Amino acid sequence: MSLGAWLELLASGLITGGIYALVALGLNLQYGLMRILNIAHGEFLMLGAYFTWMMQTAFGVSPLWMLPASFALLMMLGLAVHWLCFRRLAASSPNLDVFEARGLMVSFGLLFLVQNFISFLWGGELRGYDFMAEPLKLGGAQFAANKLLVFALALLFSAALIVLLRTTLLGKGVRALMQSPVGAQLVGIDTKRLHPLMFGVGLGLSGVAGCLLSMAYTISPAMGEPYTVTALIVITLGGFGSMSGALAGGLLLGVVEALGMHFTNPSLKALLSYAVFIAVLLARPNGLFAK
Amino acid sequence: MSTIRRSMSRRSAVQVIAAGAASIALPALAQTRPVRVGYAMARTGPWTGGAQVSQEPNYLLWAEQQNAAGGLSVKGSKRPIELVSFDDRSEVETCVRTYEKLMGSDKVDLVLAPWGSNANFAVAPLANRCGYPFLAPTALSKKLIEMKLPYFFLMLQQPAPMTGALVDMLKANGAKTLAVIYVDDLFGLENYSALKVALQGSGLSLVEEKSYPGGIKDLSPVLRSIKDKNPDAFVGFTYPPDTILASKQAKEVGFNPRFFYASVGTAFQLYKNVMTPAGAEGVLGMGSWNAKTSPGAKAYFDAHTKKFGGKEPDRWASGHCWAALEILTAAVAKHGLDRKAIRDYVANTEHSTIVGKIKFSGSENISTPGTVAQWQKGEFEVVWPKNVATAPLIANKPAWV
Repeated sequence: MSLGAWLELLASGLITGGIYALVALGLNLQYGLMRILNIAHGEFLMLGAYFTWMMQTAFGVSPLWMLPASFALLMMLGLAVHWLCFRRLAASSPNLDVFEARGLMVSFGLLFLVQNFISFLWGGELRGYDFMAEPLKLGGAQFAANKLLVFALALLFSAALIVLLRTTLLGKGVRALMQSPVGAQLVGIDTKRLHPLMFGVGLGLSGVAGCLLSMAYTISPAMGEPYTVTALIVITLGGFGSMSGALAGGLLLGVVEALGMHFTNPSLKALLSYAVFIAVLLARPNGLFAK
Repeated sequence: MSTIRRSMSRRSAVQVIAAGAASIALPALAQTRPVRVGYAMARTGPWTGGAQVSQEPNYLLWAEQQNAAGGLSVKGSKRPIELVSFDDRSEVETCVRTYEKLMGSDKVDLVLAPWGSNANFAVAPLANRCGYPFLAPTALSKKLIEMKLPYFFLMLQQPAPMTGALVDMLKANGAKTLAVIYVDDLFGLENYSALKVALQGSGLSLVEEKSYPGGIKDLSPVLRSIKDKNPDAFVGFTYPPDTILASKQAKEVGFNPRFFYASVGTAFQLYKNVMTPAGAEGVLGMGSWNAKTSPGAKAYFDAHTKKFGGKEPDRWASGHCWAALEILTAAVAKHGLDRKAIRDYVANTEHSTIVGKIKFSGSENISTPGTVAQWQKGEFEVVWPKNVATAPLIANKPAWV
């Protein structure tokens, strides 16, 4: 294989991995911070994708403009969902384990609700639009412009989130909450504000991921579920609550899949992903980046 | 005693009145009693993309058109069609259970087929057992034919004629090598094995063959390795999302063989929307008709587009789905709702439909030849075989744009 071919292969893995990472980060924020295992995460991603598609095809709005718009819309929706469902759940659950189990049930409900709402509005057909699909040559390799954009933006958003959590006071508060919810409350961190905010940010990120995906792939109301499953693998790989772990886990999974598909057979893709998953869990049961 | 007698007489009086009323009302009721037509269809889940393009819109359009004309003609009397439909959620089990309910307990008058080879494979034996004629517009499987179900009819051309036509076309146009990818389910596997049979003695050699799982998100690693082998033709036995994925990614990696062929979804309006008409130019796929095929096809195309706000029928299974409804309409007009008689009529008649003459041998439609179609200037033209072609083949695919 030529150097260019290797470069293309690795890059295609990284591009897929970047998307995995972005989806996983949002889920990680919700699960790592609040123990909300949001099974409907992929559905909110789908919502972001449909929102972008609708604005692009009906009003000709550039999908790039829809990035902040999707983030804002999904964040607002996240705040509303948190206020309507998870706030009450947190208040009525006797302990964290019960909350986690009930939260899982609620998010299952959300999954069906959101998916069927979109089916009801637009039907279940595949949708898509053409955006920056022309190939770009870089070195000896060739990529679609939209995929490179998706990758760059996925990395940008992931990095921004990691920097936000590492360097700001807000981030410190969030990390404190992840480490010890009770301790954080004792030192005066306002969980009542931080929880909805971070749930909103998590959903906002899924909206961004959906917006990015719609630029490069066809979309349908059922598109979200596989991403939720992959995101669960990725956050387990990286370690619950570890943002850089989710980023590394996502990229790793993408690259392993791409190499595996090239050298074996795409039908073995799931086998490869789960083999990596099991291997990591055997070697480091708490995830690659768990402290 | 007297009370009993009084109540008795009152009851018999009521009975007499009721019977009298019924005898007046019955003929009127019989005329307007709807024909109940049941089916399950994917409205959610992964099959939806195909089901909501190729199949359900046709059922809705058919019921609307028949009802607008006063109802379905049942041996001379017009009766309105009542569609009894359920979402099968793209699950084989749900689909089977729904048909069990429709045919077993609801006892609908007729049933229409669900979407896709897998669902039809599961439901066909059941429909056969219950004695419901079953005209499947979207099922491709040699196994289904080998099951020899007398009530089951396949509208589409099957893998052997389809891949046969493809190989003929490639050979006639000087292709020497080809690479194939196929989805690893019934549809992909059967087409792949039919292709291998068709390739025997054709002089074409297979330089790469890879299967992939449904719902795949990245085919570029496979397409890159195929590009390195530089085949004359690329053949994908793909479903709609993968058809588009393979096309987009072929463009991305700069893989532009002389013949680029993909399967389900190439015939969809979605394909030219997503790839743009210029980008789709020269792409080959499974297609068998378009509005130029016959005046009936044109009328159907226009009615479909009008009813669904600009949504076009696909140029393959949609036409065959409409043909199935045409056959069923004619059968009911002639034999009423006697399902055995309908079956015999379907099995033993040569039908005229919008996609041409259709005649069955066992379950298989043996009249419609295997075809290949190609996107040319925003229309999916039938290009092979030449006697049914709506346009000549462009033998060298232009570069992706």
